[in-house]
This record gives sequence, structure tokens and C-alpha cells, in this order.
Amino acid sequence: MSTPAAAAGQQPEQLEAQHVHAVYDLIADHFSATRYKPWPVVDSFLREQPLGALGADVGCGNGKYLGVNPDVVMLGSDRSAKLVGICRERGFDAMICDGLMLPYRSSAFVRLRSDFAISIAVIHHFATPERRQHAIAELLRIVRPGGSVLIFVWALEQESQSRRKFDQQDVFVPWKMPKRIYAAGGAGAEGPAADGTASAAPAERTPDEVYQRYYHMFVAGELDALALATGMCSITASGYDRDNHYVILERRP
Amino acid sequence: MRLITHNMLQCHVKGCTTNNFPLQIQDAELETLEAEFNPGFVQRLIPKLHWGALYHTAVSLGIEDLPEQMPEEVTEDLLRAIHKVALETRVKEGKAVCLGCGHVYPISNGIPNMLLQDNEV
Repeated sequence: MSTPAAAAGQQPEQLEAQHVHAVYDLIADHFSATRYKPWPVVDSFLREQPLGALGADVGCGNGKYLGVNPDVVMLGSDRSAKLVGICRERGFDAMICDGLMLPYRSSAFVRLRSDFAISIAVIHHFATPERRQHAIAELLRIVRPGGSVLIFVWALEQESQSRRKFDQQDVFVPWKMPKRIYAAGGAGAEGPAADGTASAAPAERTPDEVYQRYYHMFVAGELDALALATGMCSITASGYDRDNHYVILERRP
Repeated sequence: MRLITHNMLQCHVKGCTTNNFPLQIQDAELETLEAEFNPGFVQRLIPKLHWGALYHTAVSLGIEDLPEQMPEEVTEDLLRAIHKVALETRVKEGKAVCLGCGHVYPISNGIPNMLLQDNEV
């Protein structure tokens, strides 16, 4: 496995642009097709929110959490224009923005009686401790005092049956995208095959396209410590679930 | 972009702190996506809305379903009007412009792009 050490000397912004933002735009359709089942902790967190609550899903991906609880208003956002486009196709309302600079008026969330934000499998893509802490602080900034923030990040400690094993925290994780092309000269080169079916042309399997995504794999306790270091929250709950560390934060007054 | 989403957006260009809310929608093409009407849900949204911003934005888009002042008595007609304006009306194309610093956030295919250039951060 290649590691970001190969990219030594790269600024964190460049690393994220090349090995996070660009990759998600390239793999968006395939990624989305594999992301449909809500994780139970996230599902119950969303369903526990009261009627009319307003919440932000920062790094909403293909929007799989935007429709879990129809009794709340979800503001979806993602850095990947392609993933936001998929949200749109699914009828969800989402915007393109940067997780370090959320374009929400802070008071919008202060006015609420119950409010929340979620960030699922996002903060592990920021390339320095400062930027990861900044991303958490930004989530806390947009929720009202007493509001809650749920964060999931990948764990260095992967369950024993997992295919993934990591011996260091900053890694590239390959995304393999199966790629099929029509045989040269086949009907597929010009569109639908002669018999009218789109898939009749003989498909030739080429080597999978592999894209390297940057991850910072969190160790136990690291996410909690980073959240507390913002000075903006207390910890309501934290745990480990399906190869991830998660934490639920309460925004301090 | 639903108008309730617009109601939450603020310009975040570095140093832009005055007149940065609400963003003015220009050159708008609107669309309507029907949503199920839930009176209790809409009622709970009211205190979370910036009424002036919602009203003036709606008027600027040619929508005159809302009263300028939030009435003391909340009727079902009012809830239906808020539902229609804030939750069903969407900006499909256009731009959201900051009246403070002039920054233009493009809206394309229903999606606002709130990213800034490096020199604006």
C-alpha cells in the first residue's frame, strides 16, 4: 500500500485536493452505488431529533442521511460537486461548500430550541490535526448551545475480520473502480447495439481503475481529545462501531 | 435550493461582516417540488426562520403569498403559505449575491456553489 509519505512536501490543502476532492468527483457514481444503508448509530441519532429540528449534514456524500427522518429539516453539503449532484437527482436539497468554512449564519442555529449537525466519515480526510480540529469546531459553531453534533471517523483499530489492516495512521486507501469498455469496433462504440439493446456489445474487462484516497485513521480516544480541545463542547457519548470511532458532542453555551 | 436553505445562508468571505445576510437572489429561474404538508412541522419551523429575509426574498422573486409581518395568529392558511414558499419553492438557476462585499455564489441545476477562491478565505 502506498502512503502519503510518497507525497511528502505536499501542503495539506494540495493533498486533500488531489487525494480527496478529485477522487470523490471521479468515483462519485460508483461510491454512491455502494452507500445506501444508514449506519444504526447515525440512524437512531437522526430519528431521535424532534419534529421541526434543523440539522446540517456536513459531507453528506450521496445524501443517504438526508431523508432518514422526514420530520426534520436537513441542510446537506459536500465538497464534491458530483456527489451533491447525486443528492439533487434524488430530490434532496444540498450545496457545495468547504467543511472548514460553512456558509450558514451562526444565528440561524442559535435561534433553535433543538438543533444538530452530523459529519459521517468526513473528518478523517483532513490532513493535519489542526485542520481536523478546525472541522470539528466549525460543526460546533453552527449548532446552538445545547445542540448536538455526531461525528464518525475511521478507526485504526479495524475489526479482526476486516480486510483492511493499517500499520500507520496517515494512509492512502485505494478505491477500485471496475471499468468496462466496449470492444473496439463493436456496436458499443457507436451507441446501442444493432439489436437495440444497449448492453449487447461484448464487454471487455480492463484492469480496475484504482484511486488513492487520503485517510487519517483515528486511534481510540483521539477523536474525543480533538473535540475537547476545541473548548466548545462536552462529550455526551463516544464509542466504536463497525471499524469507526464516533462521538456525540453537546455544544457549550 | 429551497428558500428555507437560502434563509440560513450567509456570505463567508473573509472580512465580510456587514450586510452579508440575506444573500440577494438574482437572475432566478424557479422550480417547485411538492412536499407533504405537515402543519405541526411548519409551525415548529416558524421561530427558526428569519421572517424579514424570507418575506423580502419571496417578494423579490415575485412570490406574494406571505404577509410582511408575521401575524400573531397562526392560521392553517399561513402555514400552507410558508410550506409553499419555504419548503416547496426552489431556485433552479441564478445567483446569490452578497450585498456587503459583492461576492457572487452561482446556483446551477438547483445547487448553490458556496466555495470561495483562495484569496477570499
